[in-house]
Amino acid sequence: MNNAKRAGSARMKRNVFILSFILPTLLLYLVFGIYPLFKGIYLSLFDWSGGSETYNFIGLDNFKEMMNDDVIPKTIRNDYILVFGKIIGFMLISVFFAVALTRFNIKGSGFYRTIFFIPNVLSVVVVGVLWRYVYNPNVGFLNSAISAITGKTYDFAWLGDKWSIFALLPPSIWAGVGFTIILMIAGILAIPSSLYEAAEIDGASQWRQFRLITLPLSWEQIKTSVLWIVMTTLSGSFVIVTIMTFEGGVDNATQVMGSYLYMNAYKFGKFSYGSAIGVLILILSFITTVALQKLMNRENIELT
Amino acid sequence: MKRRTKFSGSRWLMQSSLFLWALGVLYPVVWTVLSALKDNPQFLLGRPWNLPDLPLIWSNFSYVWEKYSFGHYFVNSLVITIVSTLLGALLSATTAYVIARYAFRGSGLLYYSYLSYMMIPAFLGMIPLFFLMDDLYLTNRALGLIIIYTVTAVPFAVFVLVGFFKQLPKELEESAAIDGASHYGTFFRIMLPLVKPGLVSVSIITVLNIWNEYIFALVLVNDPTKYTIPVAIAVMQSEMQYRTEWGPLFAALLVSMGPVLLFYMIFQRKITGGITAGAVKG
Amino acid sequence: MSRLFRKTMTWGSVLLMLTLVLSACGGSKEKGSESSPAASPKASESAKPSESASAPEGVKLTGDFEIQYFVGGYGDAWWKEVIGEFQQLHPDLKIKESAGPKINDQMKPRWIQGSPPDFVYIDGAGSNTRQMVTDDQLLDLTDWFKTAQNSDGKLLSDMLIAQPEEYQAGKVHAVPLVFGSWGTFYDKALFKDKGWEAPKDFESFLALGDKIKADGQMSVYIHTGVYPYYINGGLLDPAIVAMNGYDTSIVKKINSLEAGVWSSEPVKKALDKIVQMRDKGFFDKGSPALNHTDSQSQWLQHKAAFIPNGLWVESEMANDTPAGFDFGFLPSITQDNGGKYVANPYVATVAIAKKAKNPDAAKAFLQFLYTEAHGKSWAELSKAPSNIKADLEATNAPALTKEASRFYNSDSTVVSPEVVIPEELVTERNNATLALTKGDITTEEWIDRMEKATEKIRSKENK
Repeated sequence: MNNAKRAGSARMKRNVFILSFILPTLLLYLVFGIYPLFKGIYLSLFDWSGGSETYNFIGLDNFKEMMNDDVIPKTIRNDYILVFGKIIGFMLISVFFAVALTRFNIKGSGFYRTIFFIPNVLSVVVVGVLWRYVYNPNVGFLNSAISAITGKTYDFAWLGDKWSIFALLPPSIWAGVGFTIILMIAGILAIPSSLYEAAEIDGASQWRQFRLITLPLSWEQIKTSVLWIVMTTLSGSFVIVTIMTFEGGVDNATQVMGSYLYMNAYKFGKFSYGSAIGVLILILSFITTVALQKLMNRENIELT
Repeated sequence: MKRRTKFSGSRWLMQSSLFLWALGVLYPVVWTVLSALKDNPQFLLGRPWNLPDLPLIWSNFSYVWEKYSFGHYFVNSLVITIVSTLLGALLSATTAYVIARYAFRGSGLLYYSYLSYMMIPAFLGMIPLFFLMDDLYLTNRALGLIIIYTVTAVPFAVFVLVGFFKQLPKELEESAAIDGASHYGTFFRIMLPLVKPGLVSVSIITVLNIWNEYIFALVLVNDPTKYTIPVAIAVMQSEMQYRTEWGPLFAALLVSMGPVLLFYMIFQRKITGGITAGAVKG
Repeated sequence: MSRLFRKTMTWGSVLLMLTLVLSACGGSKEKGSESSPAASPKASESAKPSESASAPEGVKLTGDFEIQYFVGGYGDAWWKEVIGEFQQLHPDLKIKESAGPKINDQMKPRWIQGSPPDFVYIDGAGSNTRQMVTDDQLLDLTDWFKTAQNSDGKLLSDMLIAQPEEYQAGKVHAVPLVFGSWGTFYDKALFKDKGWEAPKDFESFLALGDKIKADGQMSVYIHTGVYPYYINGGLLDPAIVAMNGYDTSIVKKINSLEAGVWSSEPVKKALDKIVQMRDKGFFDKGSPALNHTDSQSQWLQHKAAFIPNGLWVESEMANDTPAGFDFGFLPSITQDNGGKYVANPYVATVAIAKKAKNPDAAKAFLQFLYTEAHGKSWAELSKAPSNIKADLEATNAPALTKEASRFYNSDSTVVSPEVVIPEELVTERNNATLALTKGDITTEEWIDRMEKATEKIRSKENK
């Protein structure tokens, strides 16, 4: 009886503790984060042009319209080019550099760690403006360099082509990879050095050490990085797209779902249709994240 | 012997790629400096890597400085960033801790509801949010942005910190409980210090996200005296679309980059050092 | 017991969440229904045309009054001046200026939410008067405009060069303030140097283009691919009218979204001109990636001979213009041999918000703007012609403005009405035209896309 009471009050304490740690955050989050989003999703079921006072419930008509919209497939394609291009670029670069900066006593590794993070501290606005001038067909760095090397005037419009979406990958990687490098470094440094020492004694090569120790034990950080890339790209790629190619490049060549949402909602006044695109982004992000999570878990098992 | 040569070969590869990447990272910054000191004809007719002609056009800076009062925007951004980062760190660490270390019903739901927030573009909720903020008299006020930034910082921070809290060994709580520490005591005195590296890297990201945030600040603040730095740059940049002054544009970019770079240079030892030390300890 | 407690707790938190969400929803709904009845009597009040239609002198204006104006190539000097004067006239009025180059984006939520400024100057990226009328954001000025006088006691409509566009049949929602012109621009000094002659028709344009290409110094024609409405306004629209035998009624058909107008013969022929220029390699290859200032400075540096643009280009590029550069203007280059020029005007309007809180002040301000003195000061301060009738000869309006007005007053020029189509269609046309100049699509595909997009909007507007 007494024991039960004590256990009860302990449980009570525990529950009060849990509540006190959850509720303040949840409250703010619900009111300022979730409610506006749900209202936005709710609006996707209406035919509301923003300014007008009339709300007409039209059910899923916005989604039907989306099926017939030729731009939508292009935006999805572009988003996934960015997502997978970024995953590959980010992970190759950050794993490579993180290993180099931790496992190989390289001179100036502190210096490199400092330098590599610099683009991450710059505003996307700044990054976009800078890279626009790198790509500028006539006065930009890239074409000037190509012209100087080949001796012929080179004036390819990097941001004015059908496949300009690929030109957005380097600035995106350049601007963001510093974070995953740091994350990977932290992950690798958390691996007990005794493991490496033992491997060294066993005569395992650096590559074997990487494959058998570094990769599996920092897998959590790799997963985190990949999921972070997926989510921030699908919901945030719109900023770099608008700053570098304004309204989505030549004939929507660089249009992504986010920028198309923005254009519909704010430019065409089709706010409900924009909300419907937002719902599409939500669904695709969800599917992609879950799929990647599953995929990476399986690989994790294979590796260890 | 064989192993040695292979080893140094990969070393060489690493060294040179590190160097090249560092160059690639630094060059745009250098280029900004060069361009900020040129006038329009130099910018348009010369090669982009040319050094600016003498005399240097220092007036580009004073022009930008006088025309656009950046000191003011700097203070706005600073206050908003610091307050919301601290609030966000506190609010997310508490939630992440409970999700990671306590089994209770709905914890999964809670976790995924935070996660899903990151998948939705924020401007889907922009219009309803604007009405809400306006109803609460929070538009055109720093407090409004602080609340929004705190809230938007939470999901990512929870996401990362849950991972960090989960990695801590089980014995920590058990021994704390044996020592008679309360739930709060365990959290603040034992667990929180142990995830410091996670907290630090999350806070860096939060600081940078907030410092560079542009969409909310643009929509929720119309009063020019309340602008944050990114909005000020964007406004200046679009004004320059109608005046075409490349030198001043790059000077402005430099002015906006300067404070963040300085901030980073001052704190970078803490940042990298903190992550390294903490990660080894954990 | 513990299980029960845990269950209660979970449900408690779920309930709490629900209540929070519901109360948040309910709260806002309540507010919405509260504010609309309050707003509607005001709106119906302001629709009454009678009182304020006379000269505003002597009427004491009080309260808050918010003016939204876009600051672009024309600057803000003129606005600062007239608002200052208006403030002196009405010292009790609390005037608030919401202005800047990003103001259209910044004010968007306020328009959507229904708390717009009182008075708005509609210009620049992200603004579209027709769209605002469609979205029912602007006050119907039809009756008021019939009798409204300016501060000098003259009828407002008598002061205008271009009369208000009827975005809805028979209705006036916005009054044109700026009257500029699209066109094709070149450097007279350069042409003189090279012994080139400004083209009089498409044939001579093509011949000259070949010559310029053979010269190898520069590309023939540069344009801003980031904002393809420049090439639509400066090249395509005049071409359509020219190919229609100078009959401007085709623009009316375009504006009323008539089915089949894009696939009509004149449009086909006009598009064919673009295809010819493309196949001859006249378009500067960098164009698709350039915004307007990029393309303009390339042109000023003699990297290209021609550029489609607007009259504002001279003041916009004042800092960048090399010494000796002499702006030349051609209304159009696509007319047949011996044909007329087609001038395509560029109009920006002012209007009053339907939900204006101080419509009286907004009307008074509108009347105050349209005086001859302000027309002159616009030309001087903004370095471009306004839509207010004023004798500019004595002013120091720039040479390009004067040259344009010579074209506009000439018998060999047909002045076309402006193409005003919904924003969505503007974008579709931008995309299609740019793709056409690059050879990504054919003329037929251009037509198909436009017909399809127009059909979509038509079916929606008729719903």
